[in-house]
Amino acid sequence: MSTSIRDQVAVIGVGCTKFGDLYDSTYEDQVCDAAFQAYADAKIDPSEIDAAYVGTYLPHSQGGKAGISLADPLRLYDRPVTRVENFCATGTDAFRNACLAIASGQHDIVLVVGSEKLKDRPGRGIPRIGHQILGKGNTAPGLFALAANRYMHEFGVTRSTLAKVAVKNHWNGKRNPLSHLRMEVTEEQVLNAPMIASPFGLFDCCPTTDGAAAAIVCRADIAKRFRDDYVLVKGAALAVATGRPYYDPTFDYLGFRSTQAAAKAAYAQAGIEPSDVDLAEVHDCFTWTEITNIEDLGFFEKGQGWKAIEEGKTRIDGSIPINPSGGLKSFGHPIGASGVRMIYECVKQLRGDCGERQVKDPEIALAHNVGGPGAVSCVVVLGRRD
Amino acid sequence: MVGISSIGIYVPRSRLDRALIGKAWGRKQPPGEKAVAHFDEDALTMAVAAALRCIGDGDAASIDGLFFASTSSPYREKQVASYVATACDLQRTILTADFGGSVRAGVSALSAAIRAVQSGAAKRVLVAVADCRPAEPEGDLEGVLGDAAVAVLVDAKGTLAAFDGAAAVAEEFTFQWRTDRGGPVQMQDARFSATHAYLRDLPEVIGRVLNERGLGTDQVAALAVGHPDARTAQDLAKAVGVDPKTQLVPSLSAAIGVTGSPDPLLLLGAAIERAKPGDAIVVGAFGEGAEALLFAAGEAAGPGACRPSLQSAIDDKLPLPTYEKYLKFRRILGQDDTPVEAVSNIAEHREMQQDTRLYGSRCAACGLVQYPQARVCLACKQREGLEPVKLRKRGTIFTYTMDHLAANLDHPMGMAVVDLDGGGRVYVQTTDAAPEAIQIGASVELTFRRLHAGGENYNYYWKARPA
Repeated sequence: MSTSIRDQVAVIGVGCTKFGDLYDSTYEDQVCDAAFQAYADAKIDPSEIDAAYVGTYLPHSQGGKAGISLADPLRLYDRPVTRVENFCATGTDAFRNACLAIASGQHDIVLVVGSEKLKDRPGRGIPRIGHQILGKGNTAPGLFALAANRYMHEFGVTRSTLAKVAVKNHWNGKRNPLSHLRMEVTEEQVLNAPMIASPFGLFDCCPTTDGAAAAIVCRADIAKRFRDDYVLVKGAALAVATGRPYYDPTFDYLGFRSTQAAAKAAYAQAGIEPSDVDLAEVHDCFTWTEITNIEDLGFFEKGQGWKAIEEGKTRIDGSIPINPSGGLKSFGHPIGASGVRMIYECVKQLRGDCGERQVKDPEIALAHNVGGPGAVSCVVVLGRRD
Repeated sequence: MVGISSIGIYVPRSRLDRALIGKAWGRKQPPGEKAVAHFDEDALTMAVAAALRCIGDGDAASIDGLFFASTSSPYREKQVASYVATACDLQRTILTADFGGSVRAGVSALSAAIRAVQSGAAKRVLVAVADCRPAEPEGDLEGVLGDAAVAVLVDAKGTLAAFDGAAAVAEEFTFQWRTDRGGPVQMQDARFSATHAYLRDLPEVIGRVLNERGLGTDQVAALAVGHPDARTAQDLAKAVGVDPKTQLVPSLSAAIGVTGSPDPLLLLGAAIERAKPGDAIVVGAFGEGAEALLFAAGEAAGPGACRPSLQSAIDDKLPLPTYEKYLKFRRILGQDDTPVEAVSNIAEHREMQQDTRLYGSRCAACGLVQYPQARVCLACKQREGLEPVKLRKRGTIFTYTMDHLAANLDHPMGMAVVDLDGGGRVYVQTTDAAPEAIQIGASVELTFRRLHAGGENYNYYWKARPA
């Protein structure tokens, strides 16, 4: 059986652009801003980078296609640069691949960049893809809404609980200078917002966002050359389930088995239990998604996660702070960038750099993406060095 | 006896209260409502709906002919009968033809089907007739025309009505028309056209068919005739010499409008529903001449003759809230959703069984019915033993959403995950539903609808509507 990558890989530098409607920057601007921040954070010269991975979901004429879309703006030539695309797990999967490249012994120092330029695209950034006839009419909120409605029906949850997720994440995001929607919202505002796809109103949905984030990982045994407070990768796992759950007559729509499987694998690599996690950045593309995530990740029993929201357990001062960054909900969701942005937040939290939104003295942080919906999930566990 | 053995009736659920037309234009309208094809319906989809009802749980495999009749076929070039037959999952080895030209097309197709069975060219022929004729906004016909479909099965048994004779005349007369340039139905002076053509030709053919059988007008139990308006139907009864109150099948114009080519066959259905075995029923239609067919009601005539009964088809309705919705649904105002590329006929051809005939797969090893058709079983992961299986078209909503983001002429767009009776789960748009009717646990039926237009073509697929 495979060996764990636990403690073999260290994060020595991170960078992140402001997330938002970046009408004045190009894809290349974003990539350079994030990568050079990470270089500076790691105090590394770009020539020391052995290989790079770029995560983008929707490449287009403005960039994002193939590894060269990272190599060209950074002038990162004569070494391997690979593009990763895996639905909304794109960013964390790019990071996972970078970790594997180091753990395999192939490379010593690897750059990961996630970047997305959604605002240059027509159609609210997200095109309809897939079969022209089957499933016509699906949208991202509509697909997650199918699960939310079933969950709410099964467990007797109302939109008011969903709204509390938005209220919390906007509260956190207000305290994050890089977040897209830096404003607080009230439960009433969330409930009264225009409907997008029932049960999701406007404030149940993450925005369409531009942005990029970067991380530099290296062999753990050389991490000290770059900084003392490096962060160790404890586990990184990916799992897939059907991409068309709506055709699976055995699927109960109460959660995502890809998350459950990826979490199980990541915890096993890390040698920890869900209760050992001190904070988590989870994929709150829609308010309900955060509720199922905290169950699928094992923080709460299935059907109990919504109560934890009601009880405030997921606030920054709660028993398991969820999305202290503001999450996709407030920070924004440039698809390929989000996973790397979560790594950025986890690293900053573990270093204690988060100011007003700092979680108290965390040792283990978790980043989670799920896309599809439920088709693919990636879980990364990070820990403070001893 | 060759004749009719099954009748399926389909009236689109949307109704436009004529008072809304009156309010829009400040012009007095006749009372009542008109049936309006939903934005995703056309003559093809309504013909499929009526044909499926006509077939019911009966033996579809032995149907060896399908005739489609309409003046409002979505295609000028491309056979619709064959499309209807495919959507109804009929055999490939069948005789098909499209009839059109005038609102006489429905009776012409029925007449041709009877001749085909009489001659032995076919044994069981389905005649699917549908119309949704466009009317000029504010024009005289706007409050008159309505949309509907009917399908009748002609075979050698004729359990509902046995064929007993026919007569026809043909002579050019311009009354109602549409040219190859499209646009709404045009009409010459209604009064003159009635007196000098409609009331000349129909009494002539009706008289002839009765004479040939030695029947007097007093022996006619029911006269089911297509008509341009209810008053002219009354005039016709008088011209023929039957009592408009007791022998004329009442016009459907107040309830659903004048529906064109299906009209005489809907009225025939109504007559058979009320008939006693042996009753003489005359069905007739006008259009550049006229044709009349004589039937003797069969043993199965009477209540329950039509699926569903004409009255329940009329009663199954949803009011259109505004006149503007009607304009949008009939594409008089506004556009389709975002235009899409043409669907490749290569992919369409490859998936015909799955997408149009609606087949999934059944795993021989574990029995799971799955859709779309699978290469490897979803449950037991076996590759061998997956067999095509026809899915049922009734089911229950497992989950759903009302999506305001998706472009749709009927906003918002309902999307539902439906567990079908007998197995298989599908994910489809909803239609014909008040928003509150789409709920977890709601019973739905699958209905064949126009999905989108792209590349100058239409695409059709199944949607769910409250059963």
